[in-house]
Amino acid sequence: MNNLVIGQFVPGSGILYRMDPRTKILMTIVYVFLLVFANSWVTYLWSAIFLVAALLLTKQGLGLYWRGIKPILWLILFTVVLQLLFSGGTPVLFQWGAIKVTEPGLINAIYVIVRFVLIVLMSTILTITTPPTAIASAIESLLKPLKAIKVPVAELALMLSIALRFVPLLMGETDKIMKAQKSRGMSLSTGSLMKRAKAVIPLLVPLFVGALQRALDLANAMEVRGFESAEGRTRYRELSYGRDDTLAFVAIAVFAIGFLALSFIK
Amino acid sequence: MTNAITIKNLNYSYPEQGELFKNFDFSVQEGEWLAIVGHNGSGKSTLAKLILGLLDFDQGEIQVFDEKLSEETLASIRAQVGMVFQNPDNQFVGATVADDVAFGLENRQVPSKEMPAKIEAALKQVGMEDYAEREPHTLSGGQKQRVALASILALHPRVIILDEATAMLDPEGKQAVMETLKELKARYQDQLTLIMITHDMEEAALADRVAVVSDGQLVFDEKPETLFLKGKQLAELGLAQPFSMELQSALGISQTTYRTKQELATWLSTLKA
Repeated sequence: MNNLVIGQFVPGSGILYRMDPRTKILMTIVYVFLLVFANSWVTYLWSAIFLVAALLLTKQGLGLYWRGIKPILWLILFTVVLQLLFSGGTPVLFQWGAIKVTEPGLINAIYVIVRFVLIVLMSTILTITTPPTAIASAIESLLKPLKAIKVPVAELALMLSIALRFVPLLMGETDKIMKAQKSRGMSLSTGSLMKRAKAVIPLLVPLFVGALQRALDLANAMEVRGFESAEGRTRYRELSYGRDDTLAFVAIAVFAIGFLALSFIK
Repeated sequence: MTNAITIKNLNYSYPEQGELFKNFDFSVQEGEWLAIVGHNGSGKSTLAKLILGLLDFDQGEIQVFDEKLSEETLASIRAQVGMVFQNPDNQFVGATVADDVAFGLENRQVPSKEMPAKIEAALKQVGMEDYAEREPHTLSGGQKQRVALASILALHPRVIILDEATAMLDPEGKQAVMETLKELKARYQDQLTLIMITHDMEEAALADRVAVVSDGQLVFDEKPETLFLKGKQLAELGLAQPFSMELQSALGISQTTYRTKQELATWLSTLKA
């Protein structure tokens, strides 16, 4: 449960760590958005080059990224199989009964793998170089325009950062309750589906009761420290747009222009 | 001497279990180190919550320095009184130690530029300055409680209430928190009033005065040295004596003077000689 790399910050240094989290989020969005329209191997190659450059800038070991991809390997494989079997078209490369693999199918399958991996790696780079609190305050800042239509942006951002703060705690608690229930003979891995589903209840009830108690305690602790409203507070970690961010925007602009040019060449 | 906290004629009933405090009077002097002890459900934690306006009382008056607790004065009273709660995890708001200390400063609208210095100063006072960027789940319980203390100290409170703050800690963590409290008291002297809610008599022994509460009644209110001689009465209230006193009685020594562990050891060695 703890080897999930997506959403996990790894301390480090370099331009990607110094950049404003808002810039990083916008860059990731632009990158993923463009990638959806990639239609030829040159556009994929161009995207991969950009990604590798970003990857190297994080100065983190590649093993970290492999751990980021591992959890979704099955999802990738599943999509690939679907692409291979149901793409249709000609020429047919391989046929066995009703199953046939066509050339467009094979190409599409490869594209799907590349697209998946690139998207996951790009978002992993974002979360590895950006602490959850910075992501929360960046989202708050980016959503600020929504305040005009009375969306409580500051409250939502605070909720998000508190939720992130309690993830490891609740995971630890789940683990503890699971061990406690197992030691009393509960089994989540045997029996019929119905039986297994029922076994989850004695796990969820204490978890929820515990979480509610925590929420009450936390509310008291926050109030005592002078919390009244998420609005009108100052910030310890101020977001600041700097030279690194301008550089990053130039980079993503170059990438986007190159990408569009290459997709027309085809 | 001014009173830090004055409680007059307080009446409070639990929403379900019924009446707890009836015409309760109590006061804490400025600069005092007070321990409030009592068994579970004696009302000692409720008292702390009432002082901070986390619970509403039915009748009576609570005054903090020269302000009467009410809807209007709540914010200003909370600016003067800090509280450390029992569970180290449930009062950690920030994602890192520094962020947690910053939380209170952010609420008080301290300018961003002034925060790092204030955070560092507060963490230094509890000896946690090397842990500023650490995440809470990498800290021990005792360290988390010291961070909780730092996050209150950053707001310069005049009163700190510790509500069973060491109850969930291992002996080492307890020791570290108590040492920190001693240092703080020595540093701030009369500028800081400490109220420690506990059922640990070893901790209560550090206070200037111990108030024993049982079922919403103030049973004893005296110096620890004299209170600890009342072994039998304390036992009736579900409270133990400090270890040194229990040892004295187990050794058949008449309990006429309170001796700390150290004092008892020296005294015993003089007997042998």
